[in-house]
This record gives sequence, structure tokens and C-alpha cells, in this order.
Amino acid sequence: MLKLVERVARLMAVIGGLVLTLLVILTCVSVLGRGLNTLGHSALLQSISEAAANALLATGAGPVTGDFELVEAGVAFAIFSFLPICQLYGSHATVDIFTNALSQKVNKYIVAFWEIVLTAAILLITARLYAGMESKMAYGETTFLLQFPVWWAYAASLVAAVVASLIGVYCTFARIAEAVTGRKFMPYGGEAVH
Amino acid sequence: MTMLELGYVSFPVLLLMIFLRAPIGLAMLLCGIGGLYFAMGGAHMFLAKLKSETYTTFSSYSLTIIPMFLLMGQFATLSGMSSALFKAAESWLGHRKGGVAMSAVGACAGFGAICGSSLATAATMSRVALPELRSYGYSGGFSTATLAAGGTLGILIPPSVILVIYAILTEQNIAKLFLAAFVPGILAAIGYIITISIYVRKYPDAAGTREAVPYSERIRALIDVWPVLLVFGLVVGGIYLGWFTPTEGAAVGAAGTGVIALVSGNLSWKVFVESIIATATSTAMIFFIVLGAGLYNSFLALSQVPQELSSWVVGLGLSPWAVLALILAFYLVFGCLMDSLSMILLTIPIFFPVISALDFGMSPEHVAIWFGILVLIVVEVGLITPPVGMNLFIINAMDPGTRMVDTYKAVMWFVTSDIVRVIILVLFPTITLFLIPG
Repeated sequence: MLKLVERVARLMAVIGGLVLTLLVILTCVSVLGRGLNTLGHSALLQSISEAAANALLATGAGPVTGDFELVEAGVAFAIFSFLPICQLYGSHATVDIFTNALSQKVNKYIVAFWEIVLTAAILLITARLYAGMESKMAYGETTFLLQFPVWWAYAASLVAAVVASLIGVYCTFARIAEAVTGRKFMPYGGEAVH
Repeated sequence: MTMLELGYVSFPVLLLMIFLRAPIGLAMLLCGIGGLYFAMGGAHMFLAKLKSETYTTFSSYSLTIIPMFLLMGQFATLSGMSSALFKAAESWLGHRKGGVAMSAVGACAGFGAICGSSLATAATMSRVALPELRSYGYSGGFSTATLAAGGTLGILIPPSVILVIYAILTEQNIAKLFLAAFVPGILAAIGYIITISIYVRKYPDAAGTREAVPYSERIRALIDVWPVLLVFGLVVGGIYLGWFTPTEGAAVGAAGTGVIALVSGNLSWKVFVESIIATATSTAMIFFIVLGAGLYNSFLALSQVPQELSSWVVGLGLSPWAVLALILAFYLVFGCLMDSLSMILLTIPIFFPVISALDFGMSPEHVAIWFGILVLIVVEVGLITPPVGMNLFIINAMDPGTRMVDTYKAVMWFVTSDIVRVIILVLFPTITLFLIPG
């Protein structure tokens, strides 16, 4: 079970990472295009060789229209896709110097308790994201430049959020099982290790 | 209970949850939700807020810079630049007394210019420099302390993830903050080098010696670090000159370091996946905290606590400098307990109005930038302050032969150097601000 869950969480992270990488490339292309366009319009190049400047502009080099709208939608999706691996690997920032004074056993119960609350929060977030998507659909809101419906971006994020919820539910049961049985159901322990 | 009282009560509740090991972002989220619930007498407000808040936070254009900088840092660790930087620094400084340690600091400063995270800088440079330090007879505690301190340069020298967050919280210009951090970052490196030279004079046994290298070799080693200069110049220079937005700059930086990593042959698919996983966990952690802090801060704003607190402090009639000193001392203490990002997100919405209301004889923008740099430094000191500084753990774990106590003892020298630097920067704001027009 853990193997499967870990594989899904890693797959989600990699998909998110690939989207992020594509956005990096898209942004660079846009910056480059804008640079070339500025160069083509610049007085300097126009004065050196008008033909070269016009040829450059004729290639249609310019910024990618609406690039930042894609970046925003894509990064939101990527971050939702990063949530499962973060929870599964226990990477959310905590302060454990005070609880370290308590026994291992108590710590496991504390970790399990917060895992329940965390998963509840992620479920709430997912449910509200769905409600948010519904209202974007109802109003037919579109983005400014690319004119794509905003709910598409919500829907993409929602898919990732649903996966995050499922994995959150696994983490909750795994942490409770760890606390009760003392066996291991998560990749990294609930003990304090830095 | 009035809203104001609710606001005040939320602090101890939040701290209690955090100290009971709640994920920090979750604790803030709960306090925000709880606060809005009681303030409004019902769930409608936070439910309505959550409909769009999560998506808006995760898709915020100014925050998209963070995953890109984190990816850039991951690629930078794979680029092989850490060893090129260390070799260059070592060829120039290595033969001096304590020279190999100085080289490690210099290389950390260089690496900080392409990496926005302290832990990543400390960990990457340790892989390269720790074996060298040990093989030239540097004592374990001194070596680990040097690298832990050097790691903090990763965040002081721009680009810096924490400064991005500060800029967004206080609505300041990221480019100007990066520029302002530059000189204090260099000063930090110089301070550490001076610390090393004092330390090796006091404890001559702590450092071995190393042969000098001919100048031809030094020049060659220096030329090898050109990609670092190129990426740093392009990213920070480009943002500052307005060629592109900070997010675009981060994308250019991530692409640049990615290409260097590819060319160096270190970027296989397997390694790429691991760097994505590392980027993913830190990104998710940061955004979850940002989300929680956003909700909590909107409740605090509603409760009027920040305004009340700042007018109360101003009403006390204390000297602005005393207030500043108190706030910085607070950060020093709490920085030892909590990670720097959570600290910033939690405290800046409260302290920043206080600082803005006081008169330091500077323009509001200058005060904001100067305060940001000071906070950045004191919060980072927490990373190397015993007993819980994160950098200390990471590096000590990489050198199993060294006892934690030895690292603690040696690192206090670097902490002292940090505190001296903070005092200097407080007394002479010009050092931070002379590059920033009025």
C-alpha cells in the first residue's frame, strides 16, 4: 500500500515539476521574444541596418501573449500537485524541541493528531476549491488576454487537490496505525529527526 | 469578547499549537479560521474566503518566483559550480593561515549568488569543502561551524526567497531589496573571514597549512567560475535594470543553472526527478505556510491588532532605536526556535506597521528596505545558533566524526561576528542604503 501511495505522490510531484519546467521555458521564450522585438524596434539596429531590423520583426519575434496567465494557472496546479509528497514525506515545517522532551510514544500520538487535523484542512480546502470552481463556471469568468475560462485552471488544480486529499487520508490512517501498533507505515518517521 | 481581544488571545493559542508540534502553516490556518469564526459569529466568512483564497495564493504571480528560485537552487547544486567556486577561492586564499576555511566561506558567497536557500548552500558546499578541510588538518568543529555560517550567505546574498516574501508582505520593490542585501552579504563574508583569521590565531592547532598555487593556475581557476557570474549578473542585473520581472528573472536563472547542470553531465533523468521532489517538498511547505499566514493575517487585520499595537508602541514614547533593538532581539531569540520563513510571515504584519510609524529620519521606503535587511540577517543568525540551528544539524550530520558540542563551541565565534555586523548595520544605515536612490 505504502509503495503504491508513494508512487502516486511522486508521480504527482513529477507532473507538477514538469509543468513548472515548461513554464520556466515558456517564460524564457517570452523574455527572449520581447528582447528581440525591442531590438528590432530599437533606433540602434534601425540605424545600422533597417533591412535587418525589419527582417527581425518580420519573423514575428515577440513576447508570448498571456504568458503570465499560463504561469499563474500552471504554478497553482504545480503547487497542488506538490502537496501530497510534502505530507507523505512529513516535510511540513514544525517546531519539535519542546515535544522532544516527551517520550517517543507520546510524540507518535501528537504527530498522528496533527496529521488528522492537516488532512481535515486539506479536505476542506479541496471542497472549497470545488465550490470556487462552480462559481467561476456559473459566472463564465475568463482570463484577460487568453480568454480561457478561469474554471479550467480551477479544475486542473482540483484534480491535484483530490489526489492530495486521498493521500492525506492515507497518511492519517498510517500515522494512527504507527502510533497504535508501533510499526512503520510512512516513509519517514514521526520521531524528531533533522 | 471584542474582536481586539480575540486578536490578542490568538497569539498564545497559535504559539501553543506550534510548540505542540503542529505544522506551522496548519496552526496559522486554524487560528485564522477560528478567529474569523468567532469574530463573525459563524462559518460563512472563512468558507467564502477559502473558496478563492487557496487558488489565488497558489497562483499569485509575485509568488510564482518562489518555486522557480527553488528549482534554480536545485539545479545549481547539480551544476558542478560548487567545486569550481571552491577551487577558485582555494587557489587564491588556501595558502593563508586558515585559508581553506576562508575559501569555503568565499565559495559559499559565490554559491549564494545562484542559490536562494541557506540550507541548500550549506549542504552543497559541505559536500565539496568538508573533505578538503579535514584533509588539510582543520579541526572537525571548526570545519562544520565554518560551513554552517557560510551557508547563511546563501540567503543573504541575492537571490533570496525570504526577501521575496518580505517584499510581498511589505509591498516593497524586490529589485531594490536584492540590491540592498548585496553589500551586507559581502560584509558578512568578510566578517566570517576575519573571524576565521582570529580563530586560527587563538587556536593554531585547529588549522593545517597548504602550499600556495602559481598565479597561472589561480587565473585559470577563476575563469572557470564564469557561468556563476553570468547567471547571477543576468538574473539580478536583469531584474534591477527592468529587463524582466522578478518572476521572469527567476525563470531565466532556473533555465541558466539547468543548462549548466545539463552541460556538466550531472543532470540525468533520475537526478532530475530527485531535484523535482526536493523542489516539490520545499515549495509545498512554503506555500502551505503562506496560505495559513494569509488567512491568519486577514483575521488579524480585521481585529485591528496591528494598528492598536503600533499606536500603543508609538504612544510609549520610546526612542525608535530602542524599539528597533527590542524587535531585533526578539528575532534573535525566536529565530533559534522557528524557521525563518514562518517567523517573517508571522511577525512582519505586526512589526512592520510599528517600525513604519516610528521616525528614523529616513524616507519610508528606506526604512522598509533597511529593516528588511536587518530582519533577514537576525533571522538567519537563528540558523546557526545553538542548540537548534538547522544549518548546524545538517552539516554535523555530514561529518559523523565531529561531536555536536565542538560545532557549538566554534560556531559561537561566527554568531558573534553576525551580531557585530547587525550592530554596525543598525548604526550606519547608509551601508545598506547607499545604492538605493532616495
